[in-house]
Amino acid sequence: MGAGRINASRGPADGVDRAIPARRRLAAAWWTLALGLIVPLILLATWLAAALLGQLPEQILPPPWAVFDTLSDIIGDGTLASSIATSLQRVAEGFAAGALAGLVLGTAIGLSKALRETVDPLFLAMSQVPTLGWMPIVILLVGIDEGLKIIVIGWSAFIPVVLNTSQGVRDVPQAYVELGRVLSFSPWSRLTTIILPSAVPSIFTGLREGLANSWQTLVAVELIASFEGLGYLMAYGRQLFQLELVLAAMIAVGLIGLLIHGLLTLAETHLQRWRPEMPR
Amino acid sequence: MSLITFAGRGPLSRGTRRSALPLGTIGRHLRPFALPAALLAAWELAAHAGFVDARFLPPLEAVLARAVAEIGHGDLAANLLASLQRDLIGFAFGGTAGIFLGLVIGFSPLAQRLLGPLLLVHRQIALFAWVPLISMWFGGGETGKIVFIALAAFQPSLINTWQGVAAIPRSYRELAAVLTLGWLDFARLIAIPGALPQIFTGLHSALIYAWTTTVGAELLLNIAPGLGGRMNEGQHLFHMDLLLLCILLLGGVGVAFNIIAGGLERRLLRWRTP
Amino acid sequence: MSTAAAFPDAGSVDARALEIQDVSKRFDVAGRQVQALSRIDLAVGEGEFVSIVGASGCGKSTLLRLILGLDTDYEGRIRVDGKSVERPGLDRSIVFQEHRLLPWLSVEANVAAALRQSRLGAGEKRELVRDHLQLVGLDPFAKAYPAQLSGGMAQRVAIARALVTKPRFLLLDEPLGALDALTRLRLQDELLRIVRQGGTTAVLVTHDVDEAVYLGDRIVVMHPHPGRIATILPVTSAVSRDRSDPNFIRLRDEVLSWLGVSRAGNEAREPSVAEGTRRFA
Repeated sequence: MGAGRINASRGPADGVDRAIPARRRLAAAWWTLALGLIVPLILLATWLAAALLGQLPEQILPPPWAVFDTLSDIIGDGTLASSIATSLQRVAEGFAAGALAGLVLGTAIGLSKALRETVDPLFLAMSQVPTLGWMPIVILLVGIDEGLKIIVIGWSAFIPVVLNTSQGVRDVPQAYVELGRVLSFSPWSRLTTIILPSAVPSIFTGLREGLANSWQTLVAVELIASFEGLGYLMAYGRQLFQLELVLAAMIAVGLIGLLIHGLLTLAETHLQRWRPEMPR
Repeated sequence: MSLITFAGRGPLSRGTRRSALPLGTIGRHLRPFALPAALLAAWELAAHAGFVDARFLPPLEAVLARAVAEIGHGDLAANLLASLQRDLIGFAFGGTAGIFLGLVIGFSPLAQRLLGPLLLVHRQIALFAWVPLISMWFGGGETGKIVFIALAAFQPSLINTWQGVAAIPRSYRELAAVLTLGWLDFARLIAIPGALPQIFTGLHSALIYAWTTTVGAELLLNIAPGLGGRMNEGQHLFHMDLLLLCILLLGGVGVAFNIIAGGLERRLLRWRTP
Repeated sequence: MSTAAAFPDAGSVDARALEIQDVSKRFDVAGRQVQALSRIDLAVGEGEFVSIVGASGCGKSTLLRLILGLDTDYEGRIRVDGKSVERPGLDRSIVFQEHRLLPWLSVEANVAAALRQSRLGAGEKRELVRDHLQLVGLDPFAKAYPAQLSGGMAQRVAIARALVTKPRFLLLDEPLGALDALTRLRLQDELLRIVRQGGTTAVLVTHDVDEAVYLGDRIVVMHPHPGRIATILPVTSAVSRDRSDPNFIRLRDEVLSWLGVSRAGNEAREPSVAEGTRRFA
């Protein structure tokens, strides 16, 4: 039985389990938060103690306050902000390009068996090559400027979006497809009212993976071939043996990753609010 | 059942019509080869007719010639083996660590509460962000690369193992309680076989991921023999034929890994209904 | 001999609303040919309620799909008002056994979906949707999502959706089969009321004999392998809509015996000219 089931004698469900009182739920939430923080705090404390006691060589980890200092430095002089902006812009452009192309191709492949049979073998073969493996060739063809980043980042998003979108389109239950024919839907209506909404979960899986890939690829690309952005910041720090800089940039990368993860979850939940059970 | 289904016909199927032309069958068999063949033909044409600078697009024969040369006198094979070696070592370490931790977290709600958030944050840090740090700790040599590759394999292995254990149906746990199975017996008889498919999926992912990372790491940390190093060389010397050859090798290894992993999965999980 | 000659109750030639003439359909199942339908003849008059009853495999669902136009690969002719049926159209609606409501649309959006291809204005469509939701008694749930409804409610929405286009023909493919027994009985009354109110011509496919007798003006009994009409029985005025009425019971038992289930456990009966029609006094 689910919280959403009702029969004619009651009203529509609100999906919330009213059995556990609110106070207990809040307490449970705090407890979970506390437990989750224990290990990170212990690690932090160990780091701090080791540094204070002079037991921590600089090459392994700089003291926490040094990292903090560097962090406030690069925040203060705007380096962090501009690096983040550059990196985010690249990801946004690359992902948008790759995802859009992926949605279009994925939908087309999902709808047309002929197209699928033609394109699949080549596509699958090309997707076996790691994205970064294409870099040397792409560098030779377009140089090291923004075009390189967009192409490589876009490609890393393109692949999962195509695969998941085409799968989602193919998996539309036949019952709904027939419904569309029975209701004499035009092909466009069928696409927008039946096929695409049904494929949303898969499409989102693809977009998630594509965005994660984009972010990963961005950092790698910036490490290899860039003069600005978070990845460059890390490479720069490494060259100058400034571990604080590397760590500060890593923290920024982690936080942004968390933010992206959260936003995508929100979007997905919103788009699927008609479901009785929310995914994960 | 009031429904007659036409499974697998796809969303644009128009139901049954009076029989279509038989011409379609031949075309369908040729279709998978159509696009690659057309592209290869275009490539050859462009290269020979001089539409494109020969440096950007060497003709097919040049790539083949390069391959022969490398096999005969060059050390491309050695580079490939070096890459594969560190890839597999890293994969072994990372994959096992992931399975181990995944089992622990899957079985122990406490461990999940303690480590869950930390691992979530760790997941958000782009893998390659670790490269500068790792290279500072271990140097840019073998150890550093292997640690990095292990890190890459760790992630998917952990997640999938964890999910595999978590997905064991409640009814199985209750069964274990009813049969008064000890912790170890439960793991051996019920939990691990139940989670095995997902664990394999995780290892499969880890294998692919490790290979991707190997290539990337070698492109970045350009020391010692390896495919990445040769690719950097190809890029700097503008040897497109070498680069194209390397792409083929990369893809080939990827395909091989997928086939092997997929085959193993199928063999070992034969008890599952197809 | 075709069904038309054998069964005078197959419908008079003048009732031209829906004509099924000499229809046969074959399927290819795993290399073998299966005769799903064999020489079906049936004419349905305007405003009639025809129940088709038979065991699994007798082709009754296939017949509905042919009438609907989902499948055009058959022999024979199916005509509506004298015109051949080529494809689905808004003049023929169907209620499936599964409600098939689109889960991402609200109840009213689901009903409105049927009006997408119609040329009415937005205001008119809204009114139609509301009226039909009121008809099935689900107006308060217009904004709910299908996942929040019970089976019976969802099926009522499906009925509303099927009727909102004011179709000439309402096809029902075991519409109440997925519901529990009590809901089924309640919905049978609703269905009757709704169909009567709109004057719609209905063709119901069911394996529930009680339902067939309760709802139908005529009962078409089908036999499987190959799918064919065994007999067509009229539900005369002597048979009142009371499941405990002796005449009702007698007709039900007769249908059951045609289907091979009798009180004394006799064999199924095959059609013959003499037994082509039975009338109740």
